[in-house]
Amino acid sequence: MALIVDPARDEVRALRKAVNWRGKRVIEIGCGDGRLTLRLASLGPLQIQALDPDAKLIRAARKSLPERYSQRIHYQVGHAERLKFPPNMFDVAVFSWVL
Amino acid sequence: MVHALREVHRVLKPNGILIDLRPAAKHRRVGLGAGKHWQSVGVMRETFDDDWAANRAVREVLRLRLFRREANSEFDLDRVMDSTEDFRVWLDEFVQQGNMPSHEWLVQRLESKKKKQSEATKITVRGPLMMGVMRKLERMKRE
Repeated sequence: MALIVDPARDEVRALRKAVNWRGKRVIEIGCGDGRLTLRLASLGPLQIQALDPDAKLIRAARKSLPERYSQRIHYQVGHAERLKFPPNMFDVAVFSWVL
Repeated sequence: MVHALREVHRVLKPNGILIDLRPAAKHRRVGLGAGKHWQSVGVMRETFDDDWAANRAVREVLRLRLFRREANSEFDLDRVMDSTEDFRVWLDEFVQQGNMPSHEWLVQRLESKKKKQSEATKITVRGPLMMGVMRKLERMKRE
């Protein structure tokens, strides 16, 4: 299916205005196939832990991860209700169409 | 949902930021063309029960002083497709997820309008996203 989401990049423009992303540790919950994750990465965070409960989508996201982001983006299967991270780890959390 | 928000509160650093990004509880508009050349063909009939539940969860964590609201904004988000078949695939997924009524009437209306346009005319679903920005607070109100 040919589907382009947000060709005008309004979403990433709004995110850029909301936070100074440079050097931040970010957790994205509900990353799906990584569409928004890659756009977030372009804003300059130090690291993004991107989670989704759907293993199939995480596989797809990993497959389309560009080499230039491979050290900064970490995709994993995970649930919003059980985050396997220690307390006080992230500067920014993004609920990506999850709530 | 409140549990998920509590989990995020736990893993955020002091003064960390939570961004709640999701479709606004407004009906999506479907049309032909893209950008400024978009023309409306119909309005979807989604239900917003999940959106109301999410809003309640956010209100609850604000009430508990887990977070403080910093900003709220809304902006349009377009989904651009090549054909009515693409639209149908997207719609089927959307209907299943949202437990919505069939929108076959909209597909048919779109098909008939698209026939009168050039082959290259895109289909665009336009619907606002809302973005809530909240800051983590350390002291929680007693429940």
